[in-house]
Amino acid sequence: MTNSVHDMGGMHGFGVVEHEDSEPVFQEEWQRKTFGLMMTSLGTLQVNLDHVRSRMESEAPATYLSLGYYDKWFLTLEKLAIDKGVINRDDLTKLAMGEDVQLDREVDPIPAEGMLAFIATGATAARQIETPASFKVGDQVRAKTLNPSGHTRLPRYVRGHIGTVIADQGGQIYPDSNATFSGEGPERLYTVQFQATELWGKDANPKDTVCIDLWEPYLEAAP
Amino acid sequence: MPHDSHDHDHTEPPSDLALRVKALETALTRKGYVDPAAVDAVVDTFETKVGPRNGAAVVAKAWTDPEFKQRLLDDASAACTELGFSGQQGEQLKAVENTDDVHNMVVCTLCSCYPWPVLGLPPSWYKSHAYRSRAVIEPRAVLEEFGVSIPEDKEVRVWDSTAELRYLVLPARPADTDDLSEEALAELVTRDAMIGTGVVQA
Amino acid sequence: MTNSVHDMGGMHGFGPIPREDNEPVFHEPWEGRVLGLMMTTGAHLKGNIDNTRSQSEMLPPATYLSLAYYERWFLRLERVCKEKGLVSADDLATLWAGQDIAEDLVAEPIAPDDMRRMFANGRSYNRQLNTSALFTVGETVCAKNMNPKGHTRLPRYARGKIGVVTAEHGGQIFPDTNATFSGEGPERLYTVRFQATDLWGPNANPKDTVFIDLWEPYLEAADTAS
Repeated sequence: MTNSVHDMGGMHGFGVVEHEDSEPVFQEEWQRKTFGLMMTSLGTLQVNLDHVRSRMESEAPATYLSLGYYDKWFLTLEKLAIDKGVINRDDLTKLAMGEDVQLDREVDPIPAEGMLAFIATGATAARQIETPASFKVGDQVRAKTLNPSGHTRLPRYVRGHIGTVIADQGGQIYPDSNATFSGEGPERLYTVQFQATELWGKDANPKDTVCIDLWEPYLEAAP
Repeated sequence: MPHDSHDHDHTEPPSDLALRVKALETALTRKGYVDPAAVDAVVDTFETKVGPRNGAAVVAKAWTDPEFKQRLLDDASAACTELGFSGQQGEQLKAVENTDDVHNMVVCTLCSCYPWPVLGLPPSWYKSHAYRSRAVIEPRAVLEEFGVSIPEDKEVRVWDSTAELRYLVLPARPADTDDLSEEALAELVTRDAMIGTGVVQA
Repeated sequence: MTNSVHDMGGMHGFGPIPREDNEPVFHEPWEGRVLGLMMTTGAHLKGNIDNTRSQSEMLPPATYLSLAYYERWFLRLERVCKEKGLVSADDLATLWAGQDIAEDLVAEPIAPDDMRRMFANGRSYNRQLNTSALFTVGETVCAKNMNPKGHTRLPRYARGKIGVVTAEHGGQIFPDTNATFSGEGPERLYTVRFQATDLWGPNANPKDTVFIDLWEPYLEAADTAS
């Protein structure tokens, strides 16, 4: 969902940023498990990161805002497993209550060494693209006014505003199509620098800028 | 609240909001700030006296009296006052007319502003986050949910009530109603039609 | 708070519109009492509608979204009654515990008839202005790109967008100052028509428009807009 509450840039009302001294990596055992499960099952569930984000954003706004970070991870993972037909809600409830259920082995899990190797190498989102760049470093561009109902990585606060291209990052998987499994559809990615006064008005500090990574379909030449 | 932490703020309020409201009403009454009969008067006003029947009377009169209709479109507050409908949350009213070419609908994206004297208190859906968020960006999809289909080439005008100006949609009079009296016409007019999420059916 | 979650125009994710057939005016009797208490305490609380709205908007966003309409009203009313000293937390705690508190009349309540009269009369928000209008009907204007920390009635979705003035309503109390009791500071109010395609992009229907009531300080001439 493009304009849901996850798109928070510029919103008011969330108060001070809370700091915690010597914060542990995980606060709770279930968070540790959730993290591990998400990392090991994305591949076997055959979901991509854009799809995961998109499912997370589809949480009801009041729920989204009241959940903690790993709560959202966990609920999304549960949804993904159900979406993919790996397990149903009833069986999950039974398992939570300590009952066992009959589940057949469908795929081979990623073993520990495979997982460690994956973490060490990562999986690049960069893709070779043949089309020439529409914009070059130094160009003035305008972020389009787009409000798609699907997933996008073009924040609301930047739409309609003019900025300057400061880097061409080459091709990268395009989230808007990847999120719905409609293909990686790689597009050229640019880093665009916006003056804070352009984004927020004359009360912003003229020395402040915001740099945002934006795919070519999000941009048009500024008049 | 920061400045009264020395008192009983640590006492947990009852989880049943009805009890908590009762406690506040009792406290305010004991101190003389509130006369419970005045609270009754407010409740009674909106449960039995002020509601969409008022707006329906305005609409029916506008359909049957062209001069009244003109006065309504020129100055809705004055025209509604003629029929005895005025007051809080309707001090300044504006009527917008649905025609063959234009469909109007009203929303308040920032809170839930609504023309109380002619429509009463807003229904829950009007106050819902779904309506407040969607009416301005996908009015036609919202109208479809209400069973109202607007042809692609017909204008849709959404009125976002941000100020102390309240909007009333003057719906189109249905065909084949020439022989109906003003009272019978008023019976046809629905609340939703006057918000713009419905049309009046004969 | 200007950019908090109450400013919902154009947001996604809230689902279908929840409708209820034959909906009662109040779902629970306490909802009616809350409305009545709001109305009857008005004079003692010395608030105004803009401050009231602004108070609601300052709720933490998750709280704002999870509270129902009258819950939000009630929690604000209870808080303001305590802040303004109409009731004490001690008295409320006593009542919550099922005990009573002694009568201690420190104020004169509004009588039912006066309440009905106040309803019927309403109160005008219009104010006479001595300045001349900056914009005329038919003129193209731009809603300013502004993001004040305080209360405002300029929705986010309209900021930076070009529209046409369709009506001028004279002076009206300015919410941005009235909300903080910094004075009514009346400003000229206009209705401005925006094309849906300008607000939302090329996928909007070119026949759709949104009309928004905007005060003069929210607007600038379209040609001076950056």
